[in-house]
Amino acid sequence: MSYLELLKLAAPEATVAVTALAVLAVGLIRWGETPSNRRSSAFCSAVAGLGLAAAVGAVVMLPQSATLFGGMLVITPLTSLFKIICLALAFFTVVLARTDLSSRNRGEYLALVLLATIGLMLLVGSEELLMIFIGLELTGLSLYVMTAFDKTDIRSAEAGLKYFLFGSTASAFTLFGLSLIYGMSGTTGLAVIAQKLSAQPISPLLFAGIVMTLVGFAFKIAAAPFHLWAPDAYQGAPVPSAAFIASGSKVASFVVLGKIVLVGFGPDKGSAAWHAMISGWAPVLAVLAALSILIGNLVALAQSNVRRLLAYSAVAHAGYTLLGLVAGGRDGFSATLFYTTVYAFTLVGAFGVVALVRRETGGDDLINFAGLRARSPLLAGCMSIFMLSLAGLPPLAGFFGKFYLFIAALRAGENHGLLWLVALALLGSLVSLYYYLIVLKVIFVDEPAQHETSLPRRNVGEGGDFLQRVSLSVPGPLVAHIIASLP
Amino acid sequence: MSPILFWFFALLMLVFGAAVVVNRNPIASALNLVVSFLGLAALFMSLDAFFIGIIQVLVYAGAVMVLFLFIIMLLDLRAERLRKINWVASAGGVAVALALLVQIFYVIGHLTFSKQTFPPLARSEIDDVHNIGLLLFGNYNLPFQIIGVLVLVATIGAVLLSKRERR
Amino acid sequence: MVTLGHYLIVSGILFAIGFAGVMLRRSLIIIFMSLELMLNAANLSLVAFSRFHVQPSGVPDYNAQVFVFFIITVGAAEVAVGLAIIVALFRARQTTHVEDINTLKF
Repeated sequence: MSYLELLKLAAPEATVAVTALAVLAVGLIRWGETPSNRRSSAFCSAVAGLGLAAAVGAVVMLPQSATLFGGMLVITPLTSLFKIICLALAFFTVVLARTDLSSRNRGEYLALVLLATIGLMLLVGSEELLMIFIGLELTGLSLYVMTAFDKTDIRSAEAGLKYFLFGSTASAFTLFGLSLIYGMSGTTGLAVIAQKLSAQPISPLLFAGIVMTLVGFAFKIAAAPFHLWAPDAYQGAPVPSAAFIASGSKVASFVVLGKIVLVGFGPDKGSAAWHAMISGWAPVLAVLAALSILIGNLVALAQSNVRRLLAYSAVAHAGYTLLGLVAGGRDGFSATLFYTTVYAFTLVGAFGVVALVRRETGGDDLINFAGLRARSPLLAGCMSIFMLSLAGLPPLAGFFGKFYLFIAALRAGENHGLLWLVALALLGSLVSLYYYLIVLKVIFVDEPAQHETSLPRRNVGEGGDFLQRVSLSVPGPLVAHIIASLP
Repeated sequence: MSPILFWFFALLMLVFGAAVVVNRNPIASALNLVVSFLGLAALFMSLDAFFIGIIQVLVYAGAVMVLFLFIIMLLDLRAERLRKINWVASAGGVAVALALLVQIFYVIGHLTFSKQTFPPLARSEIDDVHNIGLLLFGNYNLPFQIIGVLVLVATIGAVLLSKRERR
Repeated sequence: MVTLGHYLIVSGILFAIGFAGVMLRRSLIIIFMSLELMLNAANLSLVAFSRFHVQPSGVPDYNAQVFVFFIITVGAAEVAVGLAIIVALFRARQTTHVEDINTLKF
């Protein structure tokens, strides 16, 4: 293994890292006499965008499949696809940052977005516990700083603190769990762990290790009862940070969680069927899913702030997505991946609308959305599509995602053992329809508090158009892609 | 290592670790943390992990502790004044921690190989700094470089967040 | 004789002490110190397992020690970021108590 080969296989990550350094440098340049540094920040965004595009190119150039250092860097069609998805989500975050943040410290902010993206790409492309831990921490640290970034808003630092406290406690649990798993198997590569675990019956220590490891991931995907940070982070953080936490971090965490439980802990799956519970990780995830669906949907009913509402609905969606992993197998995993991808793009779009409304009206409570239809039909249209897709109405992408998930869960195991979870999820979806429709009612029916000028449709308007199309088009190609790229 | 030394250092670490949690004065907690970590470093060395033990002393007693003390002085934190204790929350916290402890004891007690002593090491000519270094720059090359990126993130974050913003 | 179980139990107790600190204390600085205790409990069990899994050539499993090396680095970086967040918060609010930090309702 030469360094040149390493550089070739890690080219996308290297490209993003170099771009981050370039953006940092560009952000320091003073442009002439102008007191405002708007030109500098525009240039930063351009460099960041170009770098991300170059990284996508580098991902496309990667070989079909390769493995480095016993699984630290794994390249398959699946990981390449999800690296591109992470890069696309980072790109939308960069676009969002142009509308929301004041242009102060823009270079540093964009550099942090890029560095977090490196963490996401490593998470997606690794099958080794040490690398996964470092990826988690790299993403986590960047996101903590991005959350606390806005010094003019008192809530930003507070949200950052809460995110940090919950995050580092969860990562301490994960670490202790990983140390136990290493102790039982004597290795940190997922494939070898699976071999070792299949040779021994599940012992209490191993079970403790698995549960403690899952705590850290439950935190990352904001599954109840480890979701307490999510509402605060979604509401208090700058909008682009919140969007990135809700989309990129979540997608990568689901990919790596799926790999850990299905590849690494595969032999100790157990069963979550109601008539034949067998201890293992599947019942643990099933309980997390059930709690998330219940708590997320019920608390979301009581929210008056759109960002908090999105946060609690995110908890519920984490619950639905876990269904696919509980079902397990190729079908379940691909359903999970498909759902989390569609969800991420929809949510970035919704946060884009929130950013524009917030810039115009100075807030993101439901009241600020009143009469949006009259002010900007385009934004209102986008928002309604996003909301209905989240609710899972046909023919939107969210419907197909839920459909695949529920089918996978029903088919798993004999006698429809997961029926209880599917029924709960269906019930939750019904409840969720209510609060999504409330948002739409406010947008389309309510009168605005005061008369305002119509919203401009710059930047995010265009991004919104694209995301709208993602939600609208029947997403057959994406499913085909994901299924084809699964091992 | 002889059992006496093991128990001495283990108790040193645990007692001072508990003192960190119990103390009201942040400076006292910080100093207790140093002693606790010195005990931990001794335990590492009792496991023949000399390099890790040294790193532990250098990084924690040297760097992290200075950071803690610096922040305590920068913010001029005094001993925490007595507040009304929220009994429900405290009881909940104690209960959760105790449950965790009981579970850990149960789990380790049921472990078959926990009764085994450590297998002997071969006398090796090569010290462990050498061995760890080889691994770091060979097999663990990629994570080693990523750690550099992670430290960059921490640097950017620390500078940005603690910088005073001009109004 | 000192066995693997002894080390694991000591490490488990250290983890529980740290967790109790995170749950019980209201001072952010002390919560951070407790987090460090939890991380180091994981380090102790990793090193104990590293000594336990002796390789055929008679050396301990250095992979786990490299893991610990990385954890120490990550832990230090985490402390730096966490303390910076505290400083930012203190500038805005003049407090380092969890109970005073309540602008965002639960």
